[in-house]
Order: sequence, then C-alpha cells, then structure tokens
Amino acid sequence: MAASSERGRLTPLGWAALLLGALIMIAPIAWTLLLSLKDNAELVGHSGAALHAPYTLENYAAIFGNSSTTRWLLNSAIVALGTTAGVLVLASLAGYGFARLEFPFRRTLFVIVLLGLAVPSQAVILPQHQLFAWLHLHNSYPGLILPGLIAPFSVFFMTTYMRGIPRELDEAAMLDGASRFTIFWKVIIPLTIPAQSTLAVFTFLGSWNDYWWPLISATHSNMYTLTVGLAAAQMNYAQTSGLGFLMAQAVFASIPIFIVYIVFQKQIVRAMAGTAVR
Amino acid sequence: MRRAAAALLALLALGSCAPGDHKTHIYLQRFFGECGAEYGASTDVAKAEGECGIMTSLINRFNAENPDLRIDVNVVAWPGYPQLTAQMAARDPPDLVTMHEGVISDYAAKGLLDRVEPYLRAAGISPDTFTEASRRGVTIGGHIYGLPWDTHGGLFHVNTALFAKAGLMRGGKPMLPNSPEELIAQAHQFEARTGKPYLIQSLVGDPAGAARNVYTYMMAQGAVLFPDPKHIKLATPKGVRVAEFFRRINVERVGTLNMDTPAAIAAFVSGEGGIYPTGTWMIGSFEKEATTPGRPLYKSYAVFPYPRLWGERIEYVSGHSWVVPARKRSPEQRAAIARFFRFMAAHNFDWSRTGHLPAFRQVLDSPQFEALPERQDIAPLATIGRPLPSYVQRQSAIEGLVGEEMAAAFTGQKPAEKALSDAERRVNELLAEVD
Repeated sequence: MAASSERGRLTPLGWAALLLGALIMIAPIAWTLLLSLKDNAELVGHSGAALHAPYTLENYAAIFGNSSTTRWLLNSAIVALGTTAGVLVLASLAGYGFARLEFPFRRTLFVIVLLGLAVPSQAVILPQHQLFAWLHLHNSYPGLILPGLIAPFSVFFMTTYMRGIPRELDEAAMLDGASRFTIFWKVIIPLTIPAQSTLAVFTFLGSWNDYWWPLISATHSNMYTLTVGLAAAQMNYAQTSGLGFLMAQAVFASIPIFIVYIVFQKQIVRAMAGTAVR
Repeated sequence: MRRAAAALLALLALGSCAPGDHKTHIYLQRFFGECGAEYGASTDVAKAEGECGIMTSLINRFNAENPDLRIDVNVVAWPGYPQLTAQMAARDPPDLVTMHEGVISDYAAKGLLDRVEPYLRAAGISPDTFTEASRRGVTIGGHIYGLPWDTHGGLFHVNTALFAKAGLMRGGKPMLPNSPEELIAQAHQFEARTGKPYLIQSLVGDPAGAARNVYTYMMAQGAVLFPDPKHIKLATPKGVRVAEFFRRINVERVGTLNMDTPAAIAAFVSGEGGIYPTGTWMIGSFEKEATTPGRPLYKSYAVFPYPRLWGERIEYVSGHSWVVPARKRSPEQRAAIARFFRFMAAHNFDWSRTGHLPAFRQVLDSPQFEALPERQDIAPLATIGRPLPSYVQRQSAIEGLVGEEMAAAFTGQKPAEKALSDAERRVNELLAEVD
C-alpha cells in the first residue's frame, strides 16, 4: 500500500528520467546480445549491421562445438560456489566470535581484521603468488578459491549483523541447556539468513567476475575461469573478425549472473539500500 | 550430502590430473586467440585462415605427425607476459612461448630464456637463413634467443578504386608520395576528387601506431633513437620534423580524427578513405574483403611498406618468435623442442599467409610466397625493416609512453617539442629503473 502510494507520487518527468536511466542501462546489454546474433564476417565492415536482420545462432552453436567455454564455465562455477560457501562459513563463525564471545585481544583482533580492508590485493600479490607456488597450489581449484576466503569485509558485515541480534535469545537458549554451537547453529544462523543471502550474492558475483588472480594463478587453459578464458579467446587484431563469437561467449558467461540477480533480486536491492544490516 | 561432497572432491581432483600416456610432453604457450570451435580438429594447414586458425592447425599437424610427442597448448590473453612472468616466478614456465622480439631482451637480460643455438643446430637450421630483420630481432649480444617466426610492421593499405578516382594510379599501381609536401598535395587532390579523407587514422587508443610513425621516420632520417641502453633521444630537429608533419595532416584535415582502431578498420573496409596505415596483421582480413564480390574493397586493394618521406628507405619493424624459457628439461624434451623448431621453420610459408612476412629468406624469395596477393609489394619490408636495438629493455612499455605523447602532439594537445621532451623524459626515467 505504501509502495503503491509512493509510486503514485512519481511525476511524468520522474517516469521519463527512470525510463531514460533504464534505457541507458539496458543499451549495452542489448547491443551485446544483437552482436552475438550476427554473422562475424558481416560485422567486420560495420558493427551497425547488428541492428537489422538476418540473425543467426551459429555463434552460440560454436560455443558448444569444440570450444573450451563449457570447461571455463565449470571452473568459474566451482570457484565462485566454493569461495561463496567458504566465505559464508568463515565469516559467520568469525562474526559470531567477535559479536558474542569474550576472549583475550578480541578488540585488537577485530581491528586487525578491519585493517585488512585497507590492504589492496595488488599489494600482496607477489608474496601470495610465491606462497601458492611453494605450496604447489597454482593451477588448482584450491589455488583459485583460497585467496577469496580472505574476506575482512564479510567478517565485519556478519559481526555487525550478529551484534544487532538480541542477546536475550542466546540466554534463553542457554537456560534450555543449549551448547554454544547449538545456539550458533540453531538460533543465530537462522536469524542471519538475510545477511547471509546478501553476502552470498556479492561474494559470488565478485568471485565470478575476478580476473587478476585467476590470470596469474591459472596458467593452464584447462584451469581458466571464464573471465580469463574469454580474454584468451580474443583473436586477431582489434577483434576485426570473430566479434559475434566473442559477444556470444560474453552473453553465455553472463547467464549465471543474470540468474543470480533474478533469484536474489530482493536481497541485492536490500543490500544496496543498506537495509540488510540492522 | 556425502554424494555432493564426493562429487565436489572429484571435480577438484580434475584440475590436478597428470598425463599418463608415455609420450614426451612439451608445454607450449601462445597468444593469437582460441579457435578450437572451428579448428580444434584441423590438421589441414592449407585450408586454415587467420593467425589463430593457421597456428592451431599447425600444432595439430605437428602432434599428428609426431605420435611419440605431445604439444600441450596453453592459449593466453594477448600478450600473455603477466602470465609468463608469474609462471617464471613460480619456477614453472612453459617449454615454448610466442614472444614479440622487442620483449626478448627483458627476459634474456635476467637469464630467464635459454639460448636457442643448440636447438637450431639439432634442427638443422642455420641462422644465416633468417631474413635480416628477423636475425636482428632475435639476436642479443651475439647470441640467438628465439626461432624467428615472422616480421611485422606498418604498411600503407590502399583503396585502389578511390585512388583511381583521384587520378593517383600509374601502371595499375597507386602513386605513393616521396616527400611530406607530395603527401599533402596528393591528399588535397584525393579529397577534392573523391570527397573522402586521404588517410584513415586510428588516433584514439592506438599508441603503437603513433610510436611506429615516429620511430620509422626518425630512423629514416638517420636518427639514433637509443644512443645507449639507458637513454632515448627524441627531442631533436628530426623528431620535431616528424611530429609537426603528422600534426599538419590533422590541421589540414586530410585524415580522419577521433577514430579508434576498430572504427578505422571498419571505415577502410567500407571504402571511406584512401589509405589506412596499419600493420601486416590486417592483410588477411583486407584480402578477404578484396576477394568478396559486393564488398566495397572488392578488387580495390593494394598494400605497400610506408613510403619514404625523408632520408633513407628504412622502416621500424618487430616480429614474433618462439623462445624457450630456462628450466630443467630431459634430453627427450630438448629433442622435441628441436623437432618443433624444424617443423615450424618448414611451415613458415603457411604462417606468411596471415600477412606477416616470413622469417626465412628462402620463403621470402620463393615463388610460392611471391604468388600470394600483394606479397611482392611488401617483401622489401624484410630487408628495410629495423627493430629497436636489442640492448634496449622495456620496449613494450616504451612504445606505450612514446605513442601516448606522440598522439598528443599529432592531435594538437601538446606542442611537438613539449611532447617529444615529455616522451624522452618519461622513457629515460623508466630506463633508469631497469637493472
């Protein structure tokens, strides 16, 4: 009801602005889609050919032909899902510890975790690369997943969220004889589902789109993620031929992202509006 | 839950499978793109097209002809040097790598590449068979660090139909200028008669193109660009002459402005201008347009090295090569690399169909190569081509800095003297940091 009345307040100018914004947002996506449906040779002379028929699905057929795209897609899925699962587990446990438990140097440790937010990944890339080389973890799934588990923001996010849950719930459960882990697992975790969803979505998207670490860690093409694989697939100068195929690969790579956005739309909007943390 | 965990573990294990086929494995890393969808099973090199298609088919053919060996291919995002450097840091470099000749010095100076003379000897390849440009490109301090694979450089790609309309054809060939004044005069005549720009230029986001122009025409005037490994010399009257000439082209509006490379390519194949100065790598695409009925370039394409505008007929070139990163290898692997060298040298003609010039004189002089369209016209590039001195490191980064400053001069964002001084200062600062 409230939403409906708010909608009613939007002026025609507001609607026009919204429409314009939506068009600006959707234009590159539509352009990519149209290019992916065109014959490569036709695009060499004029990419404007994408605006009119004939269209073809041959670029998509090529993806499923002998290309490595499906392998890269699988790698991206494993890495993104593995990273997301790991981050949720670690951030939840750490968040619970910082929010609920009393232990020596708790505040100091929390500050150290927060300091991690100020360290860009590029600053530690050399020792990180050397460490993974020493551990023989390059070109492996653990090698691609483990760096993503260093997630100080996620720990901060879960700590903040858990601090907002009334302690009385823990105390009531303790009176009923629940252990620390039972309280964590059966009382706190169910109450953090909105935060977990938000964190999962952003971790998944960040991991899916990551380019830098997979570029230097996955140096064998069978271990490429989609981002690296698509960059490697780009052939010839300035992509003068094969533009349609490249766009088809990009569209194909975006499908999981679209699905994630559609399924978790509510959580993403809430997170963007800053309402997930209460 | 257990099944899911088992499935996940199985998937994780996939990444660490080792080959178990009793073959000698060689790990090759290259750029030129991934085209497995079209050429994944192709061994018919003659039917393959484009850099990616020909390269993929060549390696497939090598594997098919050498059943005791296996080339495992890793395709990297162009140019692949961040990955190669990471692999070297992890002590796990490939056995063979495609490398631009201008980059060899960076790795060779740190002992990260093997000298390839033993492989060449084992393959029966004499360095005397290399073209002059290729030999210079892979030789550092008197030692050879790669099997040269091609020579590439700037070319004037010409729309002959528009040149004919402009009255600039003689004996079926375009009349290219012999001096800056002649170029400007031709350009005005061309524009007056065709209503189209004489030059199609990619001035946006193409520092390599701007650097190529300056290197070429300063070298042609006899300028010594790098008097020593730590210094570049650009801010000279010769440099100013070149920068001001390219600025004049834009002031007099005889070339396109505000185009990036894809836009310039599209304009040229759509018949929107007379000359597109770009590299050998575009010949294959333009030839395809020139042989497709109905296309604007149909039967209207010719290509030549950059014209001599000042001094000598010399042109800046680079090339691709195969290098062997330093690492421990078995005698079988070393023999396999030599066999790969022999195979690739024997197929250098196939690669020259891409538009790049062959690295071997016997291919350059062969009737087979001369029979390819336009090749007789561009063949001189292999002789007049000059790479930057092999003692200069960071050539790729230098090209970016010089190109950025020169593009600013050409488009009038900076006076020529200031752009040249800035380029000189930035490059010298970079070189001062090199070990």
